[in-house]
Amino acid sequence: MRRALTILLLLAPGLGLVIALMGSVFYLAVMQSFGLMNFAGESALSLSYWQTMLAEPRYWRALQYSTYIATTSSLLAVALAYPLALLLRKPFRGSLLLSALIKAPLLVPGLVAAFLFINVIAYHGVINELMVRTGLWDKPIRMQNDANGYGVIFLQLWKQMPFAFLLLSGAVQGLPEPVLLAARDLGAGTMARFRKIVLPLTANAMQASLILIFIGAAGDFSFQAAAGPTSKHSLATLMSNLQGEQGDWNSAAVVAVTLMALSLFGSAILALAVRGIQRLVR
Amino acid sequence: MSYRSIERILIAAISVIMVLWLAIPFAMALLWSLVDPSQAWSYPDLLPPKISFERWLVIWNTTSLPTAILNSYSLAPLAAILTVLMGAPTAFAFGRLDFPGKALAQLLMLLPLVMPGFVVAIFFGALLFSLGFFARYPAILFGQVILFLPYAVRILTVSFSQVRTDVVNAARDLGASRLAIFRVAYLPVLKPGIMAALLIVFIMSIEEFALAFVVGSPDFTTIPTILYSYIGYNFIRPNAAVVALILVVPNVILMLILERLLQSANPASVSGKG
Repeated sequence: MRRALTILLLLAPGLGLVIALMGSVFYLAVMQSFGLMNFAGESALSLSYWQTMLAEPRYWRALQYSTYIATTSSLLAVALAYPLALLLRKPFRGSLLLSALIKAPLLVPGLVAAFLFINVIAYHGVINELMVRTGLWDKPIRMQNDANGYGVIFLQLWKQMPFAFLLLSGAVQGLPEPVLLAARDLGAGTMARFRKIVLPLTANAMQASLILIFIGAAGDFSFQAAAGPTSKHSLATLMSNLQGEQGDWNSAAVVAVTLMALSLFGSAILALAVRGIQRLVR
Repeated sequence: MSYRSIERILIAAISVIMVLWLAIPFAMALLWSLVDPSQAWSYPDLLPPKISFERWLVIWNTTSLPTAILNSYSLAPLAAILTVLMGAPTAFAFGRLDFPGKALAQLLMLLPLVMPGFVVAIFFGALLFSLGFFARYPAILFGQVILFLPYAVRILTVSFSQVRTDVVNAARDLGASRLAIFRVAYLPVLKPGIMAALLIVFIMSIEEFALAFVVGSPDFTTIPTILYSYIGYNFIRPNAAVVALILVVPNVILMLILERLLQSANPASVSGKG
């Protein structure tokens, strides 16, 4: 009994506060999306905020857009990071430097990354200047705030690929060498070794990086605001817009709950997909 | 061509791409921050016509950047110390005790990582609003501490688990007081972890944007919110370049120190025992 109390007291200032705050944030968002705990006017249980929001095209566009950005970014980031992690599995001359270069964007805050990127792709940025000067392009191309969100995806990759690389290289370096050698002795080819040893033993790291990048990209605000298409909102910019500029807490809450649901379901689907692929190739 | 030489060419190509990937954007930012306000850098000049530190002075003297720097660099050490102090008991429980539900507790500790940042920021703001709490500095500080607790707890849990029980027992057998046990058995092993946790929270606090932007709006500024004001709605490139460099350069230096610390966080090298 005393021991249980001690443990609870130890957990209270750390875990306790985290659960209390995250719990209240979640609770408040869900409540306000149903018209409860309002700041102004009557509070009454109502589905009208959901109904209004669900009838708005910009809500669906934002949901679709955020899903698209998050899925593409997480899949591409892992697809790029995985071969790099495998390539750098064994040390060679300059491998430490190369791995430091790959990880460097982790040190760059997102907003700085967004600024650096805009600078490079701007109408008179380096890329346009270079292409026009070498005569490959007749005139500069407008790349900033492109309608397909390629700029945002590129930024997500710039910032998140190193993160996936970090997680995956941890897993890849932990691969047991004797098992790999034994498989080779038994005649397993590169592909067979990859399918039967490398993939299953790194699946957890792959799941973790896919999920964390998906959640980060689904809730992205700064890349969207700086480099995203001007005609579309991401869920985070839509929510911030509803709350900040229109003072509409209830609609913002609807978007917040949507974003949390997207993060949850997206992660679940990605996790299941990794399991499924693992089972398929076995 | 042999497999080895293909690999070598591949590695060389990746290295070149990585250098371009990093060097070009930063070189551009540096050049833009040095453009003299009297002579604009415009098409078709390949380099700025006149270079000076004038822009840095102008921004320093005419914008709220000094206040923002003061806010950011006073929030960060406070957040770092508070986070480590509040996370340490949880990390002790995770690292040294066994109790039912520990795996679940460790999973729940990751909540701030999976909650979308802007949802937390906006509804943390709503929570403060409904409680009638309007002091923004302590509010942002408190919010940051909770957001960064998972990182500090994670690092300190590893440190606590590396403390050797035989050393603790030996100290106790020799009649050491609780404080003395902490000093000889715990502190030497914990030190690199504590430093690493302080640094990582410091860095993340300096970079933190969502809370500072939502809770601090409209007039409480930190370095990231100032940067956002220059790259968002009103795009002022040279100003953004200056603020971006002010934000990124100290952090890179701190991160390099952090990397050193994490590498030395080895119980054998710290306690002098194998």
